Amino acid sequence: MICPRCAHDTVDTVTTSPVPGVWDVLQCVRCLYMWRTTEPDRRTRREAYPVEFRMTQADIDAAPEVPVVPPLRVG
Amino acid sequence: MPYDDLRSFLDTLDKHGQLLRITEQVLPEPDLAAAANAAGRIGEGAPALYFDNVKGFTDARIAMNVHGSWRNHALALGLPPETSVREQVEEFARRWDAFPVAPERREDAPWRENTQQGADIDLFEVLPLFRLNDGDGGFYLDKAAVVSRDPRDPDHFGKQNVGTYRIEVIGRDRLAFQPVPMHDVAQHLHAAEELGEDLPIAITLGNDPVITIVAGMPMGYDQSEYEMAGALRGAPAPIATAPLTGFDVPWGSEVVIEGVVESRKRQIEGPFGEFTGHYSGGRRMPTIRIDRVSYRTDPVFESLYLGMPWTEVDYLVGPNTCVPLLKQLRAEFPEVQAVNAMYTHGLAVIVSTKKRYGGFAKAVGMRAMTTPHGLGYVTQVIVVDEDVDPFDLPQVMWAMSAKVNPQDDVIIVPNLSVMALAPAANTPGITSKMIIDATTPVAPDNRGHFDTPVRDLPETPEWTDRLRALLAAR
Repeated sequence: MICPRCAHDTVDTVTTSPVPGVWDVLQCVRCLYMWRTTEPDRRTRREAYPVEFRMTQADIDAAPEVPVVPPLRVG
Repeated sequence: MPYDDLRSFLDTLDKHGQLLRITEQVLPEPDLAAAANAAGRIGEGAPALYFDNVKGFTDARIAMNVHGSWRNHALALGLPPETSVREQVEEFARRWDAFPVAPERREDAPWRENTQQGADIDLFEVLPLFRLNDGDGGFYLDKAAVVSRDPRDPDHFGKQNVGTYRIEVIGRDRLAFQPVPMHDVAQHLHAAEELGEDLPIAITLGNDPVITIVAGMPMGYDQSEYEMAGALRGAPAPIATAPLTGFDVPWGSEVVIEGVVESRKRQIEGPFGEFTGHYSGGRRMPTIRIDRVSYRTDPVFESLYLGMPWTEVDYLVGPNTCVPLLKQLRAEFPEVQAVNAMYTHGLAVIVSTKKRYGGFAKAVGMRAMTTPHGLGYVTQVIVVDEDVDPFDLPQVMWAMSAKVNPQDDVIIVPNLSVMALAPAANTPGITSKMIIDATTPVAPDNRGHFDTPVRDLPETPEWTDRLRALLAAR
């Protein structure tokens, strides 16, 4: 299992369905993308994941802070 | 009769045929969001949607599109469901004048029935979370009333803010959220982060319909949303003390989540399909650590679909954006008649006004841009005469087509502020803004040929009545 959005290979199981065995909710530890295993392929499979929503480590590193962390007030 | 919680309002919607219960089993995705999306596409009078048979869940109760039609919005204000949009806005403006109405404290809040704390916190056990749009980075809480206080003045009731912000669930006890710099919670966070302190926060979900309306309403920094809710309800808003933060939260909430915004920390968030009809994302945003969850037995999870307008959010933040702008403009310019700010939370605004003298309408347009809400919105203002109804778009288009000489009546001001989600800005947060003066020029602005307008004939009102009577008698 890799992240559909950033292709990272470490994925956590966040929760499982209250009815056993129906679905899991998974999360990429790198880009934090979260998905349910029963969602359509366009949200769950790397090869079907839309190009415009894909993310890379460089994207994460370059992401701007919103809002910007202000300087610490001294004294 | 005001509603003290979401459940009593759902009962009223049900009685008026404005709540559709979907009893057959649906998938959490894409069905829940697609159904709510479709509610905005089936025309006037769409109902709220209620789901309790969602695949994989044993105990899900989900309400969507609760404010998602003019009929539902009217019922939220206690008005007859057929009340017109303009009448709803006018009634809203009348009730505003009762502000402030002190809230009523009740400490027997039903959300005290159940609690999760510390290591036991698991939001997925309390809420049937799900995704809205394809590109969303995860599951969102997008209809919460979020309560925070000014760390420099924590005992000031009015500066305690109740607002709606996008909140992404990034773990069983962790959230990321978006404090747009123009919004009050961003001021609270800025003050806390300057001091290196966490910002305590209470996130309330599933509220009575008026709390949700005031939470999305652009009010003054030191004005209390609870005191405004009292004015709009015509009765004090019931509040209770949140057990961990001590903040004032709605008595009737389904779920109250308490924790802190972690100081000086940012984490990747989004994207999220926003009220602008476009995604925004790829930014590092503040994070929230959840320390306590209080909830009613069998909580109802209320969510809102948003995307390309119109969707529920456009009904929800329509009248509540028109009225503050109307009141703020009228405070200095009593000539202002009406404001239609229902397009994308007021990114585009239509103002009707009498003219004090030549050039006056353009001044009204500039003032709309410099109201507190205008600093983050109001990129386009169309100003029309006092006899043009800004809610009647064919009339507005007539005024634009007949009254505007572009050389003299279209003014573009560069490099003004706008909230960073505005998709047309080249640099997020900075945009040009435009005034279109579609009023009739008055002296000494002697332009055009407007001295002989065609007016309705004096006999027309009588004939209107006659035609109506003849049609009714057929």
